[in-house]
Amino acid sequence: MVNFELRRDRIVARFRDKKTEWVIEPRYWRNPTIGISILLVLPIIFYSYPHLLTMFTTANLYAAIAIPLALQMLGTGRVNFGPQLYLGIGGYTAALLNLHFGWSPAMTLAATITVCTVISLMLSPTTLIAKGLYFSLITLILPLTFLDVTYIWGDLFRGEVGLVGMSPLLSFAKVTWNYIAYYYLSLFLMLTYLLFCDRTVRSRIGISMAAVNENENVARMMGVRVDAYKIFFYVAPSILTGIVGWFIVHTFRTFAGVTYLPLDFMTKILIIVIVGGRAFLYGAIPGAYLISILEDSLRGLGPVNYFVFPLILIGLIVFLPRGEGLWGLYKKKRPRDYFPKLHVRRE
Amino acid sequence: MLEITTVSKNFGGLAAVSDVSFTVHEGEVVGLIGPNGAGKTTMLNLICGIYKPDHGTIRFDGTDITGLPSHKICKLGISRTYQIPQPFESMTALAGVMVGVLNGKHRPNMSVPDAALEASYYLEFVGLFSKRDVLARDLNLYELRMLELARALATTPKLLLLDEVMAGLNPTEASHALDMIWSAQEQFAFTILWIEHVMKIIMNATQRVVVLQYGKKIAEGPPREVTSDPKIIEAYLGGRYAQH
Repeated sequence: MVNFELRRDRIVARFRDKKTEWVIEPRYWRNPTIGISILLVLPIIFYSYPHLLTMFTTANLYAAIAIPLALQMLGTGRVNFGPQLYLGIGGYTAALLNLHFGWSPAMTLAATITVCTVISLMLSPTTLIAKGLYFSLITLILPLTFLDVTYIWGDLFRGEVGLVGMSPLLSFAKVTWNYIAYYYLSLFLMLTYLLFCDRTVRSRIGISMAAVNENENVARMMGVRVDAYKIFFYVAPSILTGIVGWFIVHTFRTFAGVTYLPLDFMTKILIIVIVGGRAFLYGAIPGAYLISILEDSLRGLGPVNYFVFPLILIGLIVFLPRGEGLWGLYKKKRPRDYFPKLHVRRE
Repeated sequence: MLEITTVSKNFGGLAAVSDVSFTVHEGEVVGLIGPNGAGKTTMLNLICGIYKPDHGTIRFDGTDITGLPSHKICKLGISRTYQIPQPFESMTALAGVMVGVLNGKHRPNMSVPDAALEASYYLEFVGLFSKRDVLARDLNLYELRMLELARALATTPKLLLLDEVMAGLNPTEASHALDMIWSAQEQFAFTILWIEHVMKIIMNATQRVVVLQYGKKIAEGPPREVTSDPKIIEAYLGGRYAQH
């Protein structure tokens, strides 16, 4: 079966003729440790402020949408403007099945994954046909169409009001515990996504993904199965986004297409990705926290969100045009070798 | 090794390649020459599966590769370089070669560090090891050509298609590049199909040349004989020179 072997700087796992290596470099552990411990300690500090805990939960969920989106952008070499489509599909699947058929959260999770897989597989040929702007336009239109559908079949989807009263994932006697539990659950979800995406990007798949992102034709000529990559990296992040929808349904217990499907939600996600930098998955977390804190502090001023966020987005695109993001700028200042240095002895 | 039989390709009304047949034997160095727009690069694109031929078949090592997707053709052992270098611009030189190492043939047992090690061997071979951590967009033309060669070698080709590797290089760089190609051929033992405009190199380097004009094959044979053929001189220099 699987054999593990511990070496000085890596763990090697072997299964039949396949081998994977997990490079352990303790000198790179500092920042993740600091980051994760801050996130773990947050609810203990803000124990008595439930609205802050809700805000942090939202931030985690934003990050959980932005991280797969960044993976998708890398793997398909295209900018998807509508990942919230799958948020809507996942959310509505879970909510409707739970309300009308009384399915438990575990069953609705399975249903969400199935429905998202089927729909994203059906839509995945767009990654092969459409390029650049056309792909972005198609993906931009889809969630808006779905929003219209929720209005047209208002009896079922309850377009403007949204669906209410789904069964919760957890319920404790004390309300504060609920908030903390949901925060930790969303954190767990987000970190799982981060781990999955990070491992993918750093594996041999990630190297080929980067090649697809750079130049599809050359990558194809070098033996990369470009079409398979593009379909996989359209489908997998879509499923991950759908699961976030399921989580929202069973956490906040309300789900309305109006909140998640329109463009202003997408603007937030795009800002998060741009602040974080397209290629840097970690950047999504500070980006998400920044956006939700900003959103929360602007709430008192009325609906300024609708023009403040687009303005921020335009500003970011103008001043950070290469898509490297604030995180990318930080990385540029503190570069690290991605691959272990090779030393060659010369006579 | 490579058998091309009556291959045609039309773009709209334009016949880019029509009824071209030739073979390349194992271990040979074959030149593919012709004036601009003769269909040389189209021929290369047909071989590596970027275009599908309208007629005819292409066989490689006994397998019919007509219309196969590029990645399968690459795995069978055909690799190419580009006339205008097409590097992965925001990847480092090492990472660019690693793509070839990991995908060039079935390597289930290779991890990322293993691939880095093997890629660095190819980079060392073409003399770019000191530039392994430089982004490809920061390399100069000679280095880009060498990177393309390393990338092509990394897929362990049996047949290497070279598309004007010498274009834009100065004489010193060109002779370096030529040495590099010879030592690579000696070490890795592959067959070369070589498109080139620099006649001097074609004359010295190849054992046989195939001449294309307006998408048709007009001659084939040892370079000395072919270049003394009045038809070829006409194709290259115009009818007036051929009469004198």
